[in-house]
Amino acid sequence: MDHLVMETPERTVMERMEQGTAPPPEAETPAACTFEVKNLSIWYGEKRAIDNVTLGVASNAVTAIIGPSGCGKSTFLRALNRMHELTPRTRMEGTVLLNGDDLYSSTTDPAIVRRRVGMIFQKSNPFPTMTIGENVVIGLRLNGVRNQKFLNERLEKSLRMAALWDEVKDDLHKPGTSLSGGQQQRLCIARALAVEPEVILMDEPCSALDPIATAKIEELIHELKAKYTIVTVTHNMQQAGRISDYTAFMYLGRLIEFGPTTKIFTNPTEKQTEDYITGRFG
Amino acid sequence: MIAARHILGTFDESLAALRNNVLMMAGLTERSLERAMKGLVDRNDDLCANAIADDEEIDQLEKQIDKDGVDILLRFQPVASDLRRVVSAMKLSSNLERMADQATTIARRARKLNRHPPLPEVELIRPMYDHAVSMFKDSVDAFAREDVELGRAVVPRDQKLDDLNRAASHKLVDRMAQDPDQLRGYLNLIFIGRCLERVGDHATNIAEDAVYAAAAEDIRHPSLAAAT
Repeated sequence: MDHLVMETPERTVMERMEQGTAPPPEAETPAACTFEVKNLSIWYGEKRAIDNVTLGVASNAVTAIIGPSGCGKSTFLRALNRMHELTPRTRMEGTVLLNGDDLYSSTTDPAIVRRRVGMIFQKSNPFPTMTIGENVVIGLRLNGVRNQKFLNERLEKSLRMAALWDEVKDDLHKPGTSLSGGQQQRLCIARALAVEPEVILMDEPCSALDPIATAKIEELIHELKAKYTIVTVTHNMQQAGRISDYTAFMYLGRLIEFGPTTKIFTNPTEKQTEDYITGRFG
Repeated sequence: MIAARHILGTFDESLAALRNNVLMMAGLTERSLERAMKGLVDRNDDLCANAIADDEEIDQLEKQIDKDGVDILLRFQPVASDLRRVVSAMKLSSNLERMADQATTIARRARKLNRHPPLPEVELIRPMYDHAVSMFKDSVDAFAREDVELGRAVVPRDQKLDDLNRAASHKLVDRMAQDPDQLRGYLNLIFIGRCLERVGDHATNIAEDAVYAAAAEDIRHPSLAAAT
């Protein structure tokens, strides 16, 4: 039997955006923002992957970006540290401010941006020829740090913050690839933390991990947000509900809804959001 | 307009089964109240016995709804309106079970009254019953149709039921003083009035849950909302 749900015929936010009557998505923007993204659009060749997105990323909080495949969430994430520029024929409009600094100003060095904004990928990617220890401090070495005492201190600190120190402290000389999948992902997080970024971006960080390893990463995310701003892309709605403070729902390159996670997952404003998170989409 | 179906058909089926059981439980509870009241007014012990017997089936449904609700939470991890519907259904079943308990108490008291000469003061109970059942029906309708305005409108109606109960109690206490031979009878009527007053409280709870399910709005304890 169909369960009765009385609905008022309403236009989707997409239709209202077309007609310029959509509510401003930044209405729920948090007070203190690490990133201020304004009117961001990105094209890959002729294809518009991000369409006029305005969003504030809360400081010391976890922001989850959800949406169906191809909605632009990974592109949006990559735009936060200029990684998308590595794809040929990319063009962007709009501004991305990181703690007030324009990431796309002509004087900004992309390498500096990526040091300030670390990134964790779906599949853990420790450097295969390096030991666990070398993997963690490679970022510092590439930035010219040679002081071994400093490197050792940062190595331990980063591994501790990534909740991996106790598991690997006696095996620092072993290859990074000798670790389990979950440990490798935490090693990558330690590697990102070693250069002391302001933000950590995570693109499906747990999708290749088993539930126990996933729980450890989620716990780690929870602990890291005290010091870092975290933006994560996930297909796992339950994970978004568990770990994030704010959730952004994207569809067809547009930001459909953004707000506190509790609000999005109990009473979303937009019908498209509701249909997506309740599994009615499409 | 009917909401779009879930991609997962078994999720739709489970939600529909949960909802059907809640509505069936509401129907049985209403019937039980009706039988108890008729057993009182018509002095019919068989109807009272039926009302008491109904309670077992209602208790079984309460357990089934709780089990199905937990299963849905476990298997489908519902969110947004789906989550609110499941939580509200489980809360509804708890209120319905307690309403049915009130029907059982009314039936038991009615059977005691039926052993003695009829009391004209039974008529004091009828307007309370009509008002309580009207609140009950509207609250269940508000849940079934996800009618926020109807749900909202039920809540203030509880005050009238409280007033009717208070007035009836005063009259019955007066009668106890005037006619001490029928003291137990009047006492039973006071308890029956109190049961109906409780039915109104549960109907109010159901109406509040209906508003939450449909609009994600917690309208309970408005004084707290004003304070925060």
